[in-house]
Amino acid sequence: MPESRSGPRRLPSRRAVLAAAAVGLSTALTASLSACSSSGDVSSEGVTLTFSWWGNDDRAARTKKAVALFEQEHPGVTVRTSNADFGSYMQKLATQAAGGGIPDVAQLDYRQISQYSGGGALLPLDEAVEHGTIRTSEMDEEFLHTGTYEGEQYAVPMGRGITGYAYDAKVYAQAGIPTPRPDWTWEEWADANRKIAALGLKAPDGRTVVGANDNGVNEDIFEDWLRGRGGKLYASQTKLGFTEDDLAEFWTFCDSLREEGAVAEAPDTAQANTTEMSPMGRGLAAADFTWDAPFPGYPALLGDQVHFAPVPTTDGRQGAYFKPSMLLGVGAHTDHPEEATALVDFLLNDERAGDILGFTRSTPPNRRIAARVAKTLEGAEREIYQYAQRMEKYGLDAPPAAPPRGDVALQTAFKRAYHRVMYDLTSPREAAREFIDEANRELRS
Amino acid sequence: MNPTTRRWLPHTAALAGLLVLLYPLAWLLATSLKPADEVVTSLDLWPSHLEWSNYTTALDGVSGVPVSRLLWNSLLIAGGAVVGNVLSCSLAAYAFARLRFRMRKAMFAFMVATLMLPHHVVLIPQYIIFNRLGMVDTYWPLILPKFLATEAFFVFLVVQFMRGLPRELEESARIDGCGAFRTYWSVTLPLSRPSLITTAIFTFIWTWNDFFTQMIYLFAPEKFTITLALRSFVDQSSTSAYGPMFAMSVLSVLPIVLFFFVFQRYLVQGMATSGLKG
Amino acid sequence: MSTVSTTAPARADRTTEPRPSAGRRRRREQQWPAYVFLTPWMIGAAVLTLVPMAVSLWLSFTDYNLFDPPHWVGLRNYKEMLTEDPRYWRSVGTTLLYVVVAVPLKLGLALGAAMLLKSLGRGRAFYRSAFYAPSLLGASMSIALVWRALFNDGGTVTEVLGSLGIHTGSWVGDPDLAVYVVVLLTVWQFGAPMVIFLAGLQQISPELYEAAALDGAGRWRQFVSVTVPMLSPVVFFNLVLEMIQSFQVFTPAFAVSGGEGGPADSTLFYTLYLYERGFTASHMGYAAAMAWLLLIAIGVITLILFRTSRSWVFYADEEGR
Repeated sequence: MPESRSGPRRLPSRRAVLAAAAVGLSTALTASLSACSSSGDVSSEGVTLTFSWWGNDDRAARTKKAVALFEQEHPGVTVRTSNADFGSYMQKLATQAAGGGIPDVAQLDYRQISQYSGGGALLPLDEAVEHGTIRTSEMDEEFLHTGTYEGEQYAVPMGRGITGYAYDAKVYAQAGIPTPRPDWTWEEWADANRKIAALGLKAPDGRTVVGANDNGVNEDIFEDWLRGRGGKLYASQTKLGFTEDDLAEFWTFCDSLREEGAVAEAPDTAQANTTEMSPMGRGLAAADFTWDAPFPGYPALLGDQVHFAPVPTTDGRQGAYFKPSMLLGVGAHTDHPEEATALVDFLLNDERAGDILGFTRSTPPNRRIAARVAKTLEGAEREIYQYAQRMEKYGLDAPPAAPPRGDVALQTAFKRAYHRVMYDLTSPREAAREFIDEANRELRS
Repeated sequence: MNPTTRRWLPHTAALAGLLVLLYPLAWLLATSLKPADEVVTSLDLWPSHLEWSNYTTALDGVSGVPVSRLLWNSLLIAGGAVVGNVLSCSLAAYAFARLRFRMRKAMFAFMVATLMLPHHVVLIPQYIIFNRLGMVDTYWPLILPKFLATEAFFVFLVVQFMRGLPRELEESARIDGCGAFRTYWSVTLPLSRPSLITTAIFTFIWTWNDFFTQMIYLFAPEKFTITLALRSFVDQSSTSAYGPMFAMSVLSVLPIVLFFFVFQRYLVQGMATSGLKG
Repeated sequence: MSTVSTTAPARADRTTEPRPSAGRRRRREQQWPAYVFLTPWMIGAAVLTLVPMAVSLWLSFTDYNLFDPPHWVGLRNYKEMLTEDPRYWRSVGTTLLYVVVAVPLKLGLALGAAMLLKSLGRGRAFYRSAFYAPSLLGASMSIALVWRALFNDGGTVTEVLGSLGIHTGSWVGDPDLAVYVVVLLTVWQFGAPMVIFLAGLQQISPELYEAAALDGAGRWRQFVSVTVPMLSPVVFFNLVLEMIQSFQVFTPAFAVSGGEGGPADSTLFYTLYLYERGFTASHMGYAAAMAWLLLIAIGVITLILFRTSRSWVFYADEEGR
């Protein structure tokens, strides 16, 4: 029963109302039924592929344009596209996988690879890669490896992202902090935050500007921190790669910085779900950890003095790495594997498709296309491209194997557990223990 | 207390209550017309100028699906639910109220028991069933159950109403040789109209407001209802889009408000005449 | 049909039993049409209620992620829920706190407003409609978003309190206050029970008050010895209804907390957690187990309410009707 209800029990009859309602509703009903059935139609001639992805409107528009070009080049092939926001998409794909097959071509999250490959929902692509139906010569081999499961290629990365640090260079200069280099350390970072807080700059709402967002909520940054110390997030598909001590240490570090007033306060961190609502976006902090793809949002909002720097290190060992921001896979039950792999190849390797798609899925993994598109970039977008090249040169450790299926849940669990620390409801160690218990339950299969 | 105060006190209290109660609605309307920079910074209800562009932005909808389409989708689902509930609940109610059959007591007790059943108990298996039938991401899971009288509340409501009807008309119809179906269709149903209108109104409003079921079953933006779209609008935008967001909110509650104004007379009269007679 | 009879369906059932008439033959004749009328309902009851109930009970003993076939884990979900998962208990705590605060507040306000409206002469109908309006709107996403904004930083409520010297900061961002945003949204919808109370009040015969006044009872005394007992069936009806609904509150919790039950799980309502476990984390077995415990809890509390009602609910119509 729905949540609300209430109480009139008797209404006088009104023929007109009922008649009008009846007419309107029967029309509506017929229409609704036809609306439902339209989802099942299949084009009578040629081949129809289904292709789905998640993402914003810009990505949708560009992807549809690239797909139209593919259809032009492949007469007789129709591609039916569908897209949704990330949360719905994850649920929808899981539902489709359970109910009889994912689309012919699907954009996949790194975390879905293990589950869907292991469960036989994805078509192995080794043959297509070997025969060059899907060309991979312009891709980094280690990076390509992120689409494998137990040695077989099930998906091909479609975009490459890396974590970084958006900071206000003006404030940094004012506080006398040198420009962050790829080998700056977590201690230097903590000091920078203290120095900024000590400046006593006033935020728009009258509070003192602090150094950065409280990154205790950010599992990505914890992973960078961990990797910088030679650790990793997952030891295997069923085991965490770190201990309670590691996590307690990280959270104690974050927690004490916040208590000193060097990073953002709890409520500001808690409501930071968009760039605009982040402490930095609201003018309350001078920096924020973020991914390269969303970085341009910061200078767009705050001005050109915002730049993109590397994540701090432990003794110069960088923990950041190139992560597939999304991959493309082919549904195991596809009736048209050839056309499906052709579409995958087209989206990844065709120059015109590359031009259309641009950096809408982060840096294209095809180096030639990335370099070609990068020429047209300017400002913040150019900066992140250069940042990636600089990091490549600095030397990064190999990306970890695809995360286990429980990773999505754990990422939010991480944030939630730290919220309790932030609001003083528990200690870092208690929270770490609770998180690890939850993680172990989640990973047990 | 002098008599004048005594007379005016309740009115003043009622008026004060009304103002507090309606404030959020006034705020919603005002905010939907405010320029972006006044939304968070100004407590003034009245905008410095009317920002109609909030509405033009809102009309563009979400993910390229215009608001008109979203409203239409909501209307389809709510309309289908109304037809389904009125039809199936009145059929079942007639059997419970007027016909005899061996399982009557047991079935009626079961129906009443499901009044208290939390929806969540059947949610997951229903989801699995609809998924097996390939109906996830269509409107079927939202409409089909209504044609199967799954909302016991309305069955019960109509049963109670039918029981209060005089039996004489039906009996004379039967004497005239009408079967159960004729009697139902041409005598009981027209007489039950008030309870059916109540069923229709509440089905419409609840279905329109429903968020949970729609969120679980619908994925494709072009199939979204206005409620779902509103939520993804919130996810995708920031404070700077407050104006358009609340403009869209206004559009999404507008049908309910209209419904309320249209049927308000019936609601009031219905409440006044119903009393508590047994 | 009456509100009173709605509270006690069994009794209503008994009193309006179809008159025993006609012969056995007629009875047999009427058997099959009844089942025809009931066909949609029976299909619904079987396919969408009974079978799903059985399936969800079974699922609650399995580990099922929609994708891989379910496998039997015995009581593990229940054990995990009750002994290992601190968030489960947090969600129970939040929900109980909400039920215990919101339901009495809402009903109290509804009763107060009903009495106020009863004392109004002209304008009663108007106010009744106007007070009722929030009940129709309150379950919508839009209004939940309005609430979120009103109680956020810079929102009207925080600002007004601030100007009175009470600096709360954002309620939505404060784990101690966030749940009250949902509570107040619920209380705002007091119009629905109010309408039922008002109908009940108007049902009380004025003679009872006159008699009490003759006995020298003051207003308070009249309230205690006439209004309260005469209204108790309606109070009971509202109480059961509101309680059952409150355990299942979802949309406002979802909207106020941005879908995650935050901050720090302070608005992690039971149903929100159930949704998260089942549909976000794909632990359908666990979510099914949660649903069954919810069903049991609601059943037990309803039973207790019905049991205790015998001592405080006064059915004037028991002999009268």
